Amino acid sequence: MGADIKSLRTRIRSVDSTLHLTKAMGLVASSKIRRANDAMLKGRDYASAVTETVKVLTACPDCAKSPYMQQRDGGRVKLIVIAGDRGMAGGYNANVFRLVRELPEAEIVPIGKRACERYGEEIRSSETYSYGQARELAEQLCLEFEEGRFDRLGIVSTEYVSMMTQNARVDWVLPLKKAEDVPTRQVVFEPDEITILNDAVPEYVAGLLMAALRESFACEVAARRMAMDSAGKNAQQMIDELQLAYNRARQGAITQEITEIVAGSGM
Amino acid sequence: MNTFLLTIASPDGNAFDEQAATLTLRGVEGELAVMAGHVPFVTSVKAGDCTVELPDGTERVGYADGGILSVGKDRVTLLAGSFRWKE
Repeated sequence: MGADIKSLRTRIRSVDSTLHLTKAMGLVASSKIRRANDAMLKGRDYASAVTETVKVLTACPDCAKSPYMQQRDGGRVKLIVIAGDRGMAGGYNANVFRLVRELPEAEIVPIGKRACERYGEEIRSSETYSYGQARELAEQLCLEFEEGRFDRLGIVSTEYVSMMTQNARVDWVLPLKKAEDVPTRQVVFEPDEITILNDAVPEYVAGLLMAALRESFACEVAARRMAMDSAGKNAQQMIDELQLAYNRARQGAITQEITEIVAGSGM
Repeated sequence: MNTFLLTIASPDGNAFDEQAATLTLRGVEGELAVMAGHVPFVTSVKAGDCTVELPDGTERVGYADGGILSVGKDRVTLLAGSFRWKE
């Protein structure tokens, strides 16, 4: 009986420290939520502005000659995979990796420590990824695309629907598709549309990448908060159950002792 | 004075998203200014100063690290890799 009480006490203590940990992680995540959401909205603004401009350019007949508009039939796919820097965020990382598994042929450029560890690349943090780094990566990928080293470029990220819901998705970035419903006849281009388009594409890829990174980070933080909330609830429930078992065992031991004393006194 | 809606978008958020009277900056083919009613126009922008005149006549000067200027029918968008107000 004594050993039972001791092991119960140890378990309660260990679950309690887990509870503390989940609480702390949850608090850290909550404090980051607002900043992450603000950054996500800013990223979205920029991405939509740059998409709008590129749309006007792709609608011009001359731009069909641009290397970025060539639809090639080869199946060589390059994917930028955005995952988190650490776990404890429910299914956040797993959902991204599951989606990547559906495209087994793809060559992968991971961002985020978890993704880098999984795909064996040098570690790049997704939380502190700067626009400068995004721009550098975008320029390098655009160059590779121009040289025909791959046929399609996609970004695997997580879409923020609400605090409770996030979905992993693939956005196809290159080659560009011609926009149909944009009137371009009266637009003046300086120096000419194809030069502007070729200049704009790295900016476009970097803008989309940055928006995807920030949206994914907002998802990560939200997912972590929800995961830590439910982990905290489970830990509390477990402690309650263990406490009950512990009290019962303790009470049992006391009752037994009294019975033994009473029996021993010979009354 | 006629005004137009000017948006200066950078990855750190929109630096400006209001009515403006004129916008002066360095295009690839030299300095240019945009006023309300400009023809639809798209150009690359060189890194350099960029002056916005507000409807009340005050001027704000910022630095754009290159980008693309697109002038639409009723709005003007400057996409800059980075943009910083000087004041």
